[in-house]
Amino acid sequence: MIVAFYVAAGVAVLSTFLVILQTNAIHALLYTILSLLSVAIVFFSLGAPLVAALEVIVYAGAIMVLFVFVVMVLNLSPETEGVDRAWLQPRTWTGPVILTLILIGELVYILMTRAGLTLEGAAIGPKQVSLALYGPYLLGVELASILLLAGLVGAYHLGRDALD
Amino acid sequence: MTSAEIMSLLPLLVLAGAAVVVMLAAAFFRSHRLSLTLTLVGLVAAFASLPLAFAYTPRQVTPMLLIDGYALFYMGLLFAASFVVALLAYGYLEKGEANPEELYILLLLSTVGGAVLVASSHFASFFLGLETLSVSLYAMIAYNRTERRAIEAGIKYLILAGVTAAFLLFGMALIYTDTGTLAFSGVVAAAAVRPSLMVMVGLGMLIVGVGFKLGVVPFHMWTPDVYQGAPAPVTGLVASMSKGAMFALVLRYFTPIPPLERQGLFLVFTTIAVLSMVGGNVLALIQDNVKRILAYSSIAHLGYLLVAFLASGPAGQLAVAFYLVAYFATTLSAFGVVTILSTPDHEAERLEDYRGLFFRNPRLAVIFTITLFSLAGIPPTAGLIGKIFIAAAGVQASLWFLLIVLVLASVIGVFYYMRIVITMFRRPETEAAQQALTGLPRGASVALAALSVILVGLGVYPVPVMTIIENMVARLV
Amino acid sequence: MAEIPTQYGIILAAILFSLGIAGILIRRNIFFILIFVEVMLNAAGLAFVVAAARWGQADGQVMFIFILATAAAEVAIGLGLLLRLHHLFKTLNVDQASDLRG
Repeated sequence: MIVAFYVAAGVAVLSTFLVILQTNAIHALLYTILSLLSVAIVFFSLGAPLVAALEVIVYAGAIMVLFVFVVMVLNLSPETEGVDRAWLQPRTWTGPVILTLILIGELVYILMTRAGLTLEGAAIGPKQVSLALYGPYLLGVELASILLLAGLVGAYHLGRDALD
Repeated sequence: MTSAEIMSLLPLLVLAGAAVVVMLAAAFFRSHRLSLTLTLVGLVAAFASLPLAFAYTPRQVTPMLLIDGYALFYMGLLFAASFVVALLAYGYLEKGEANPEELYILLLLSTVGGAVLVASSHFASFFLGLETLSVSLYAMIAYNRTERRAIEAGIKYLILAGVTAAFLLFGMALIYTDTGTLAFSGVVAAAAVRPSLMVMVGLGMLIVGVGFKLGVVPFHMWTPDVYQGAPAPVTGLVASMSKGAMFALVLRYFTPIPPLERQGLFLVFTTIAVLSMVGGNVLALIQDNVKRILAYSSIAHLGYLLVAFLASGPAGQLAVAFYLVAYFATTLSAFGVVTILSTPDHEAERLEDYRGLFFRNPRLAVIFTITLFSLAGIPPTAGLIGKIFIAAAGVQASLWFLLIVLVLASVIGVFYYMRIVITMFRRPETEAAQQALTGLPRGASVALAALSVILVGLGVYPVPVMTIIENMVARLV
Repeated sequence: MAEIPTQYGIILAAILFSLGIAGILIRRNIFFILIFVEVMLNAAGLAFVVAAARWGQADGQVMFIFILATAAAEVAIGLGLLLRLHHLFKTLNVDQASDLRG
């Protein structure tokens, strides 16, 4: 289990890093999906099988597929190859990389100085999550559905009248 | 869920139900007038249910929502704002948009989000309310989907809102890691005992998310572009409801954090307030686009509100509540004038569009003048009374530096507000531009007239509103 | 499972979060920026699940489900806006698709 966590964590970080370097849209999406799948394995190793499954089904399986559709509609791949390569000069990425390293360093520091964080033993499976969803988080579920309704109506309005 | 809990949730239920009804009506009968009517009826019903719910307060409905006088007061404010925006949007959309009905659905849903936000007592409802509000706004900002500026404004807002939402969530997660609870009371309790570095960083990231929604410096970059690109009635909504709802939440939950711990937070908020007051007013001076001027002015006003927030105590809370009422009325009135003069194809945003307004339609010019006076804090308007309350609260809390900045910033503000007023009273150069402006939408005109009455009324006789506020709001810690 | 210290889980989330931020700052194509927003939201969700595992509660997982719903709604509208943007501006570049004065 521990090994699974570390290996999956490493894959997740590496593939997310590679997304930044891709110029081809489909390649970037593939690395993103890979990152999401490794995070799902991390979830599983933490004893959260339900969210692991949801990560794969919804995040990697639905949201990323929407991105793939858009790539196909817009024919993005050939276009972004040439254009974006010019933006990957050292000048462009030095600043953000330094900021990122500072941020990561800071967060790591904070976490390492905080003593006494160990995980509880048991896995929290679908039953506990469902009890929570039907219990204290009932209103949250209803709100989430209202949120999705707003997304639906909005996307419908923006998508009306075919683009010529 | 007991019947008492359902009764206390009545405003939210009515509002959500109204949204569904409007959606069904739009699906079966494509009628702009019907959508507007149903929306207005729904909002009035929700408003009417507030006293009914008040009988069952204060009530913690699941760990998510805390329904009390405070929440119901601000809900009422949000419903009123929605009502005005609906009226303004009707006249605006009649002039151009082919599919206007969806705006009303999104308007109602955004109000639900805002109402949940002001009543929330848990990170989950905070996040869900915030996102419902935001997601509705994305589509509303980009509503003129064939306009380049609207789409650009929409996508800028979406990306920034998404990034700051991620910051907000990560901050919440850090706090949760440390405290083991997602309820606000738990967070406050954790901050009361010696707070750990993790909680502080978490709060810091939370402030990033909050600051974006409030549109204060240094998270203000989206404000001018979005205000300019969005349709005028939607801009009015963003300026009033989305900022107001978030501010109500911030006031409720950052206040009880005890003073010792607040040193750090105090410094952060003071810096933000000063930068917003100064930055907002100074940057507005160089603009010649009315919508952008109003955008920077709203940044400054949020700075003033933060001064009242920092004052805290009953005086501070009274000041915040009153100033928010005044701010809502003023903002909606200002954008109402812009809306009435705009169509989806041509927004009335350049200063030139307002030249000689007095000669084309004197009533509109007078209304706008009253509004600008209120923004500047010139008597006898609500804006001045609001600033007096803030100053009083600041004096009580000995926030001398902030008060000096507030006064100086307000003085700078007078300049660009007066510029607009003077432009309205100058004679236009061409004869064609001197034609009278008639045939303005009735609903919007009535709404604007009512707002002006409120602005002057509050400026002259603020006592009734003060009483309501004291009874419902100022009973916080 | 009990042997994985929580720190490493949150550190992983922090690294992914920071990579998302870096990506948004580096890439100038709105399509890629949307992908990185999703990466950031996912990282925040990871942090919640790790925290929930630490306390033995289901709340973090519930928050993750809500984050999932939000990300879905946001992506739907975001991609819709992206298509409109491409149609109107003929480019997906952030700097070129800019009519409004910054």
